[in-house]
Amino acid sequence: MNKTHWWGRLRHEAERAWIIAEKDIRIYYAKPPVIMWGIALPFFMFLSWSVGRNRPAGALIPGLVAITVFFTASSIGPVVIPWEKRVRTFERLLTAPVSLPAILLGKTLAGVVFGLAVAIVPLLVGLLLGARVSDPVGLIVGLALSSGAFASLGVLFSTIPGPNVGSVMMPATLIRWPLLFISGVFVPLTALAWWGKALAYLSPLTYANDIIQRTMGGDGYLMPVLDMGALLVFWAVFLLAGLRLHEAGRQRGL
Amino acid sequence: MDEAIAVVGLTKVYGEGQRGVTPVKAVDQISFTVRRGETFGFLGPNGAGKTTTINILTTLLPPTGGTARVMGHDVVTDAYGVREEIGIVPEISNIYEELSAWGNLMFTGRLYGVSRGERERQAEELLRAFGLWEKRDVLSAGFSKGMKRRLCLAMGLMHRPHVLFLDEPTSGLDVQSVLVIREMIRRLRSEGVTIFLTTHNIEEASQSCDRVAFINYGQLAAVDSPENLKAAFTGMQSVEVAFIGGDAEAAGLDALPGVREVRRSGDKWRLYTDVPAQVIPAVVDCARACHLTIASLNTLGPSLEEVFVKMTGITPPARPADALPGNGQGRQGAGQRRLG
Repeated sequence: MNKTHWWGRLRHEAERAWIIAEKDIRIYYAKPPVIMWGIALPFFMFLSWSVGRNRPAGALIPGLVAITVFFTASSIGPVVIPWEKRVRTFERLLTAPVSLPAILLGKTLAGVVFGLAVAIVPLLVGLLLGARVSDPVGLIVGLALSSGAFASLGVLFSTIPGPNVGSVMMPATLIRWPLLFISGVFVPLTALAWWGKALAYLSPLTYANDIIQRTMGGDGYLMPVLDMGALLVFWAVFLLAGLRLHEAGRQRGL
Repeated sequence: MDEAIAVVGLTKVYGEGQRGVTPVKAVDQISFTVRRGETFGFLGPNGAGKTTTINILTTLLPPTGGTARVMGHDVVTDAYGVREEIGIVPEISNIYEELSAWGNLMFTGRLYGVSRGERERQAEELLRAFGLWEKRDVLSAGFSKGMKRRLCLAMGLMHRPHVLFLDEPTSGLDVQSVLVIREMIRRLRSEGVTIFLTTHNIEEASQSCDRVAFINYGQLAAVDSPENLKAAFTGMQSVEVAFIGGDAEAAGLDALPGVREVRRSGDKWRLYTDVPAQVIPAVVDCARACHLTIASLNTLGPSLEEVFVKMTGITPPARPADALPGNGQGRQGAGQRRLG
């Protein structure tokens, strides 16, 4: 492969990103912090919100799927990258013939796969409880884009300086919780005041929740193209911001 | 191009331009070259600038000033080219403990674009050479420190690099691991791989390296072959003597003419002097007068460690127990004087 040609170089970088993602999937999915912050936390939080509410269980499933994807996909970056920096395996990647964007894209791809894989659990539970999928292709595309946006948000979180996973996860969680409450998951967008809606549009979870609601037979508030476009933009913006901050950290020797 | 590494005026200042941070100059205008196929030792006390220099040469850290090229590739403008040429074995074995030895090597091979067939051939050869073949499917989390180190070195060699950076390769390892790693370094050297070695084991550097560089306070104190460096310090010659029977401590070795300092090392006494020819007959006369039998008597040049201590200005801890009692002045002198 001719790596000097832009296409050869792009293919080379994409391949390396996938190799890194595969490695992360094999290594880190069973790490206790990923399980705790990514799966257990959203599950129990959702239970505390849904128990005793006078709505059919199936109607709550899109929200559960959105929350699960949000927490799982955004957990990979702030767990894996500080972990790898601590045990110095991140240096191994930085000194290999692969660019920093490809490394971070690899971490994001691992988050996407994780988010999609974990989303299957609440989806199956939902189908058993009577939820339905009205647009399977739209749901898969929506989930993939949502996972991408959340995973790149996780990569951005991983730039928070800290000596260990916990010191990065704590501030990351402090940012994720407010996003959860302004995104129309608990209170529908239609019921929000104008300023509530304005705040909601700043959160990628708003668009993820909206597209999942719509493709699971619910009423979406925004156009699907708008949801998908916004998720793509969030994916790119978070990844570029993460890249910039990681590069700045490298310049300072962090 | 004869040089594997060419460094000119390399400088690194941490904290430059950052508000509220006092800039620290870690590397200050250093220049040196490493020839192709050479084993080059980079020595210095902790905080001298060794790690910063290695991090710049391996593209982990951008320099503040100067240039560095590895196999003709600039570390700033062609970092990608540098990374394809180098293998790195850092001081901390950065293996993936959640993967087996085989899994670690396969991942590394893929990352460097080694084809599948070549990957498997190379991995088997390396695992056998490092005595890890039988454990290839065991998770490396259960490996001993020495096994992890050997695996880390194998990972650094998976893509057959032209330049290998070894940071403290044998520090704190068991004898078997040390022997295996030393043998591999010898083999790589015979195959023409350029080795950039940092170690605290200065005698190991003296035996392994074609040339060494001493760095201290971010500046190079010397770059030369170990023998040339030792030859430059004729004033650090010594006479080493071991006695059988008698009380050598009472013999007054430090009062003999021409002796500057006396240090005890195990059952031997080392008398530092500028005039070994004058000291030897004096030691023989002293032994005869004190009824001591000489077991061995040798003249020694300075060790590389002594040259290192002299050039870097490191002060060894005072060891009054090693000094002879003599006339009192000798005890104080030996205990308080800086080596060199």
